[in-house]
Amino acid sequence: MSDERLGRLADVLVDYSTSVREGDRVLIEAPELATPLVLELYRRALAAGAFPTTRVSPAGLSEIFYREASDEQLDWLSPIRVAEMEDADVRIAIEGPTNTRGLTSVDPARVARYSRTTEPVANRSLERAAAGELRWALSAFPTDASAQDAAMSLREYEDFVYRACFLDDGDPIERWQRFGEHVEAVAAFLDQKSELRVVAEDTDLTLGVAGRTWIPCRGHENFPDGEVFTGPVETSVEGTIRFTFPAVFNRRAVDDVMLRFAGGEVVEATASRGQELLEQMLGMDEGARRLGEFAFGLNPAISTFTRNILFDEKIGGTIHMALGTGYPESGSLNRSALHWDMICDLRGSSEVYADGELVYRDGAFLNGLTS
Amino acid sequence: MNDPRYDRLAQLITGYSLELQAGQIVRIDGSLAGSPLLVALYGEAVRRGAHAYVNAQVSELAEYLIAEGSEAQLDYVSPVEYQEMETVDALIRIWSDANTRSMTGVDPDRQRRRLAARRELTALFFDRVAKSEVRWCGALSPTNAHAQDAEMSLAEYEDFVFSACHVADEGDAAAHWREVSDELHARARDLSSCSSLRIVGPDTDLTVSPEGRTWLVADGKQNMPDGEVFTSPVEHATEGEIRFSFPALFQGREIEDVRLRFEGGRVVEAEAARGGEYLNSILDVDDEARYLGEVAFGLNYEIDRFTRNILFDEKIGGTMHVALGAGFGKAGGENKSALHWDLICDLREEGEVYADGELVWKAGSFLQTPELEHV
Repeated sequence: MSDERLGRLADVLVDYSTSVREGDRVLIEAPELATPLVLELYRRALAAGAFPTTRVSPAGLSEIFYREASDEQLDWLSPIRVAEMEDADVRIAIEGPTNTRGLTSVDPARVARYSRTTEPVANRSLERAAAGELRWALSAFPTDASAQDAAMSLREYEDFVYRACFLDDGDPIERWQRFGEHVEAVAAFLDQKSELRVVAEDTDLTLGVAGRTWIPCRGHENFPDGEVFTGPVETSVEGTIRFTFPAVFNRRAVDDVMLRFAGGEVVEATASRGQELLEQMLGMDEGARRLGEFAFGLNPAISTFTRNILFDEKIGGTIHMALGTGYPESGSLNRSALHWDMICDLRGSSEVYADGELVYRDGAFLNGLTS
Repeated sequence: MNDPRYDRLAQLITGYSLELQAGQIVRIDGSLAGSPLLVALYGEAVRRGAHAYVNAQVSELAEYLIAEGSEAQLDYVSPVEYQEMETVDALIRIWSDANTRSMTGVDPDRQRRRLAARRELTALFFDRVAKSEVRWCGALSPTNAHAQDAEMSLAEYEDFVFSACHVADEGDAAAHWREVSDELHARARDLSSCSSLRIVGPDTDLTVSPEGRTWLVADGKQNMPDGEVFTSPVEHATEGEIRFSFPALFQGREIEDVRLRFEGGRVVEAEAARGGEYLNSILDVDDEARYLGEVAFGLNYEIDRFTRNILFDEKIGGTMHVALGAGFGKAGGENKSALHWDLICDLREEGEVYADGELVWKAGSFLQTPELEHV
């Protein structure tokens, strides 16, 4: 039987997240398992009068590519890829893995090499989005592989995903609009601050955010959503942080990451497992050792870690930061082929100070900024 | 477990058929139902150093577009698609339906409108093929839908398809196809001097004239499987009658036991045991639809039965087929029509073919092996 929540997910993605309009060129990208959602998105895009095209990938292609491609192939950027990204008014990308660990044994250096190849496309997309030429959204179709990573049954995981998207609500779009106002209020509050200090177990980190912009994430580019982020001043980060959740890059986990920053740069990085991957990623390029993003997760319907950054970084009561490239609209100047989010749970005993004032405790904002 | 025959077929297509080179851009088209072959082809293309990408189709989308799209949406072709057609060095088309009848109920006018919108794109591509700027190959990935049409199980149908492509066992399939190619070229040379072909079989006595026309070979470069020699006969020279033992398929509909009578090249009488009215409506597509655009010998003896798929049926070893409608410019054909409809005649039991009065074919095969030229 078809799950009516899938149709609602498509409704929100097309009508709310990307506001598809008549004449829009809409690029829908998804793996083959997500086909049921692709069909729903395609029909809604048609109904909106748009021109949808789909890129649906059979499972297993990236494994072949990363294992067998020559250096010339790893370095080749498809002109067709460039063209389709330039052509799109709207891009909707859907996750729906068949096996989240299919690339575990692939040499990370090869993955990094290809990331550098495609970096111009990624950067150009961000630029076009910042200039208002491209609306995009990333979302997820629940699969067994994702459920397995979350240690859930597929049915439980579907409930988790759709709840996180507020699709159980009678009017999901109205609910997202309301939640969006709360996220905006948090961003407006943080916009007045110059310096943040995060204090928790094994963590005392200070970063400058003066002159940078806090971006409220209300379900337009990620879905589900619920965070505020900025690009910290590149040279300002000082101190140490211990990430309570595993840091996941391309589905590979690095456990118990501790980073020490001086002058904005990572000067010490340790992990209880995955040290080599951590160092490889930090050595990718100049910008990989600096933060491009700092953020608060605000989604009250996401409370458990499921090893998927789309959800994990929005867990209400967490912060996360990304090593590597930042988002231009936040004012970040950091550029890198890397963008690696790491999450720290603040729901235990923790405090965040803004310009010396306590503004957040044990996973929630004070000052009436609660959702 | 991975079926090694998919890998062998992928090696054959990327190697023998397309001769993919490092650095070439290859697009692999097909529906998701054909994923096993799409993935195998992608792997082989990457191993050959090509820049490969898979353009997988979700079959239902075409149905939605035709059923629900506005006229502007039906007419729309993305500029990116034009750019792809200009950019790729090779294109692989994998036919692989999850349901061969899914388009039966769509509005034919809207379907035609969609096809018309894409005509320029297709023409652009075949123009590049003609100029040898791009190579293409079409093949099939077995599905239950195709097996059902062939009245087989999926396992039986896989055996059938892979045998037809000569990749069922570990032998050197490319070497086999090179031999086939040599034989077909020799056969085409033998036929080139013939000015009159007379086909005789049950309720069949048809004379066509290939005089001055060029016999072409289908040797596994653009279709896999393959195996035929064909030409476009002189348009006004066809005389006599022919009865097609296999059902004739047109857009998924079957017409049984078609009989045609030709005078001065033109079909003057057309009958069928079932679907006669539909047959005549097809012949009325345009005036040239009543003239032959092709006559061909099917010579792939690893295809031994009718499976309701023209990719295989027209190559059944021991059959001949003719096509009503458009001819082939490369063969010297002059007939232009919106139609090109292949009809297959089984000559394996009692058929005889005379070339300029001499018996050259009996009971499904040529009497003489063509003389191979080694250069």
